[in-house]
Amino acid sequence: MRHRTFFAFILPSLVVMLLFIALPILSVAYQSLFIEHEQAMTAVETCDPFGCKTELRVDAAAMEALREAEPMGKFNGLGTYANSSHLAFDELAAIWRDSPSLGVAFTRMLNLPLYKALSFTLAYTFIVTPLVIITGFFIALGVNAIPGLIKGPVIFFSLLPMIVTPLIGSLVLFWMIDSNGILGASLQRLLGDPSLTLKASPTLTWTVLMVYGVWHSAPFSFIVYYAGLQSVPKDTLESAMIDGASRWERVRYVIIPHLLPLTTFIALMQLMDNFRVLEPIVGFSAAANATSLSYLIYNDLRGAETPLFGSAGATSMLTICGVIILLSPVLLRTWRDFNRKTH
Amino acid sequence: MKNRAERQPLPLMLLCWGFVLIWLITAAFPFLWTLWGSFKVEADFFSYADWMNAVTGTRTIQQTGSAFTGAGYEGAWVEQRFWLAVINTAIVTVCVVVISLTIGTLGGYALARSGFRYTFWILIAALIFRAMPHVTLVSGYLLPFFQLNIWGYLPTTIIVLVAINQPFTLWMLHSFFLSIPKDLDESAMVDGCTRFQAFRLVIIPVMWPGVVTTGLFSFLLAYNDFTVTSMLLTQENQTMVPKIASFLGTVQAENKVMYAVAAVVSAMGPLFVLVLFFQRQIVSGLTAGAVKG
Amino acid sequence: MAQLRLVNVTKAYGDYVGVRGFSLDIKDQEFLVLLGPSGCGKSTTMRMIAGLEDVTSGEIWLGDRMVNNLEPKDRDISMVFQSYGLYPNMTVYENIRFPLKVRRVPAAQQHDMVMRAAQMVELTEYLDRRPAALSGGQRQRVALGRAIVRKPTVFLMDEPLSNLDAKLRVSTRAQIKNLQHTLKTTTVYVTHDQIEAMTLADRVVVMNRGEIQQVGTPTDIYDMPANTFVAGFIGSPAMNLIEGTLANGSFTAEGLRIDGLTTAHSGNVTLGFRAEDATITRQGGQIAAPVYSIELLGEASMISYRIGGALVSVKAAKDYRAAIGEIVEASIPAGICHLFDTASGKRLGAA
Ligand SMILES: Nc1ncnc2c1ncn2[C@@H]1O[C@H](COP(=O)(O)OP(=O)(O)OP(=O)(O)O)[C@@H](O)[C@H]1O
Ligand SMILES: [Mg+2]
Repeated sequence: MRHRTFFAFILPSLVVMLLFIALPILSVAYQSLFIEHEQAMTAVETCDPFGCKTELRVDAAAMEALREAEPMGKFNGLGTYANSSHLAFDELAAIWRDSPSLGVAFTRMLNLPLYKALSFTLAYTFIVTPLVIITGFFIALGVNAIPGLIKGPVIFFSLLPMIVTPLIGSLVLFWMIDSNGILGASLQRLLGDPSLTLKASPTLTWTVLMVYGVWHSAPFSFIVYYAGLQSVPKDTLESAMIDGASRWERVRYVIIPHLLPLTTFIALMQLMDNFRVLEPIVGFSAAANATSLSYLIYNDLRGAETPLFGSAGATSMLTICGVIILLSPVLLRTWRDFNRKTH
Repeated sequence: MKNRAERQPLPLMLLCWGFVLIWLITAAFPFLWTLWGSFKVEADFFSYADWMNAVTGTRTIQQTGSAFTGAGYEGAWVEQRFWLAVINTAIVTVCVVVISLTIGTLGGYALARSGFRYTFWILIAALIFRAMPHVTLVSGYLLPFFQLNIWGYLPTTIIVLVAINQPFTLWMLHSFFLSIPKDLDESAMVDGCTRFQAFRLVIIPVMWPGVVTTGLFSFLLAYNDFTVTSMLLTQENQTMVPKIASFLGTVQAENKVMYAVAAVVSAMGPLFVLVLFFQRQIVSGLTAGAVKG
Repeated sequence: MAQLRLVNVTKAYGDYVGVRGFSLDIKDQEFLVLLGPSGCGKSTTMRMIAGLEDVTSGEIWLGDRMVNNLEPKDRDISMVFQSYGLYPNMTVYENIRFPLKVRRVPAAQQHDMVMRAAQMVELTEYLDRRPAALSGGQRQRVALGRAIVRKPTVFLMDEPLSNLDAKLRVSTRAQIKNLQHTLKTTTVYVTHDQIEAMTLADRVVVMNRGEIQQVGTPTDIYDMPANTFVAGFIGSPAMNLIEGTLANGSFTAEGLRIDGLTTAHSGNVTLGFRAEDATITRQGGQIAAPVYSIELLGEASMISYRIGGALVSVKAAKDYRAAIGEIVEASIPAGICHLFDTASGKRLGAA
């Protein structure tokens, strides 16, 4: 295929990606360097029958003029990155100075919004991903062992938690775990603790969110592993039987090595998806106890009266750095493989 | 007749059955429960006293005279104008699927058939783009969109969803195209087709299964998206998912949670039908990426 | 004693019978080849011996043990598969060692055993490689090495050479023959290639549609085919078979008459003879017909005729030439003829 033809074919796709993925990243980077204009205030004297008083009002005209002159806001350099709702250098320094022990320092650090979100995001990513892989693997082994006729329906029901809209899935679970819902109420009764609610207990919130994460993604790894199991080389499996391998040794020496490349694939996909966790936090209304990086951005854009573009931009840039770090092992390996292949 | 390699001793068999059964309940029960409960009144669905109420519908009978009530659905669809969101969703998903597939098949084909160094880099870039949290991209859109005055409209959302969907579509179609032998288009070109004719007349007809599968996933992405649709659409243009999310704020306060429950069940319906009919394609799509690993 | 006995072994898949009433005694140290066209049940038979497939009815005896219900690993056999069944994640060394490892052979002995096996199959240079980095022939030898490493009582090989190119096949064939001779292990070998069967076997079992057609030494099978199937399957080209009628020791078919057959039978029979037993003559031949085609094989020329519906070939000297359509006579003396009952296909005694 000639270069010209190649580009003619790929152009639409490339343009869309550059325009709506690459460009916004640049735009975010730029926008993170600015902050919103401070409110321009004017003193207005209002008089009524009881007398006159002066009060400060937002000067709409002046604001309009400011926005007109500098639509991006006020230039702030890297200030937004350093402020208390992001990397919070000053606060960190203060904590470092004042804390009696490392443990206390750590706890205090986790109260800072960005670090709090980061801690949940990382915990969610690195707990849910392995659990998804393990759960999916065992479901696949189980389903593989049952008679063929009922495999179809089993796969149908297994797909539901994954296929369903994440927000809807989390709402469905949320209503069940609600203190008046079937699971929540039963749990309270079972543990004899009527104060046990999602809102009251951060641990419970984290657990529930992660349970949701596993519930939502296990079907994915199940299906991938299940398909992998169908392609385990039969000859090799039978060789192992004749060589004297027990059931477990066959799993250990034939099946697991065969599924290993699939595990890399699942892990990669899951790391990417779990790192951007957002919907369950909205669905479970869990923001009080658990926030994620994505949620911080979402909140900056939706929560405040006017969107905080600068703040959202800074968090976005930090998140993108996180994604790159997360992907770097894969990228490095691919890069090395590629170089080995071409040289 | 089972062959010996597949035969399991009884305890292991029971263990497998037990495990699969537990998983099935975990996977399916929440949906069935919500579906059933959506026809009850709130006092039944959220019954602290006794969950059996939700099954039998005690309060529902007290309040409405029958064990089932469509009040939630009526409230959501008519009073809250959920139907509008349904129409918007239909428009968005159909457009996203069609546009994604059109430009995606072209691009995926080009990537599969050219051995240039930069194809590799395009694929890697696509992988990185695929990993970008959608909300970071959205925070990049908002300001320009406000300034260009294109915020809030369906076409804007559609094109954004197409773009977000493109990396995945490219990867998937690329691997499907790789599985079609090169000889096919080469012989077509020897027979006198241009590259594009070969693509359209020879390759696409045998690619249908791959295109359908990829289309399904594009559909799911557009249908299930929350981040983009909730931030880029006005109240009037909202699709189902952000509509449900906004119910949470307004409706919950007014003690009309059942509206949200009914809306949720309504939104799940099409997905169930989809899985029912396209189970095989979904399974093959999930594994298409993995096979190449 | 590594004697293997199959008694009336049958394998049914639902209604379809893959192997029917298979009975055979395989002697200690014998090299037995199962030969037959694709789908005739050779692999199924072998897999039942290995224990990979359950028998529907009948018994399999290994020495004095009835092994029907034993797991494959308890039968003390080893097997080489057509696509080798190597463990892709292990090196050659680990592949060969695997049976020892899972059978808990003391670690001290493992290394020596692996090295001895590797030497026998000439793999000592490749021990650190993975199967993916080996050629087809080398992979095949790894599978062999893994099979011989623990000195089983029976070797089973299912078309082990079919993935190799023609030249490699010849040399590996010789190697297998030699290995079996050295190790003196009872071997069951499956193939659909009759040259392999002829060169390797002490005895050949010809199968068709799940049933044994004939058991015998390669010479027996070639010289005295038990029925028309074996006659038509063995030899290259296969035996010429012509349907006709027999009366008073004379066979007649369209365009062909052979007298002087010493047989008491009469009626519808099939007459068979091998191309290399017949000769081209100037005159007085039993066949006098136009040449249908002539093929030059190098060591001979092959003349073929159309007699009745069948294509009949006769081997001539390598410098013999004839034009297509030319009338050429061929001599088919009664002594080279085999007679089969047309209805049952069975050989008729004393031709
Ligand atoms: N699991 C099965 N279910 C149904 N029929 C089967 C099954 N396995 C094998 N068969 C049938 O049994 C017959 C014998 O198969 P087998 O594999 O033994 O043939 P083969 O002689 O080894 O052929 P080839 O030379 O092609 O390997 C075939 O017709 C096959 O279709
Ligand atoms: Mg076979």
